[in-house]
Amino acid sequence: MMPGIDPRWDARKRRRVRVRLGVLIFFFVFTASAALLSGTRLHAWQWIPWILGITAMAVFTAISMAASGYRPGGRRRGSGPSGRGRDNDGPAGAAPHQWHMLVMASLLMPRSAGRRWLAEAESLLSEVATARRGVTIRSYLLSAPRLVVMMWAREVLRRARLGPRRPG
Amino acid sequence: MALRLTVQVQLVLQALLRDPASEMYGLELSEETGLQPGTAYPILLRLEDEGWVTSRWEDIDPRVEKRPARRYYHLTAGGAVQASAALAGARRPKGTALRRLAGGGGIA
Repeated sequence: MMPGIDPRWDARKRRRVRVRLGVLIFFFVFTASAALLSGTRLHAWQWIPWILGITAMAVFTAISMAASGYRPGGRRRGSGPSGRGRDNDGPAGAAPHQWHMLVMASLLMPRSAGRRWLAEAESLLSEVATARRGVTIRSYLLSAPRLVVMMWAREVLRRARLGPRRPG
Repeated sequence: MALRLTVQVQLVLQALLRDPASEMYGLELSEETGLQPGTAYPILLRLEDEGWVTSRWEDIDPRVEKRPARRYYHLTAGGAVQASAALAGARRPKGTALRRLAGGGGIA
């Protein structure tokens, strides 16, 4: 039986994370293309796409972080002893912002794989010595990008094996 | 796709082969191999894909035990045979590589 995970898993949130990531990637590609196409010697007007792209990336990153409740150097909304979101802070002793990054990474994976990854991380972090929690979370975060690719590749293969879904 | 027997994969297989009949959970495996849990997880997934390893959630009441359920891994019968054969044919990792892994928990 998979351990219960709170309502952070709803489909709307997953979609929101993916849309934000898509927008961020779009602006990154836009800025990088502008840089490559314009070469090194830029006229005054050629700086415009750069400035627009970088500004858009900064705005979207800030909005995404604010919407997800992240506060640099501070506490997340609803955390703390009187907060509503104690469950969202992960295992006791784990830094809430690091836990939140784990949750975000898990949302980028296919649903069941992400749930399992996060549940395993939560289970392990609850047993690991407090002093090692930061290092452990970092190790999960470092392997996350590769896992996202690996999990989606597995998911695509699985869906290809099952064939197209039939209505009803 | 064939499984690449990296040093980390060998360490995980060796740990699981120490007692093929028993199950191990993530933290236990991590302590046994010296690998960081984030490193061991993708290896276990790949071993599962290959059919060498199976896993299950521990059946407990987290409120009673005061901890979340663990995910237990163990070698399948075929997996144990294949893992032994693969390890026998694999190059032995150098001592320096093992020490570096134990210290830093490098990524596979």
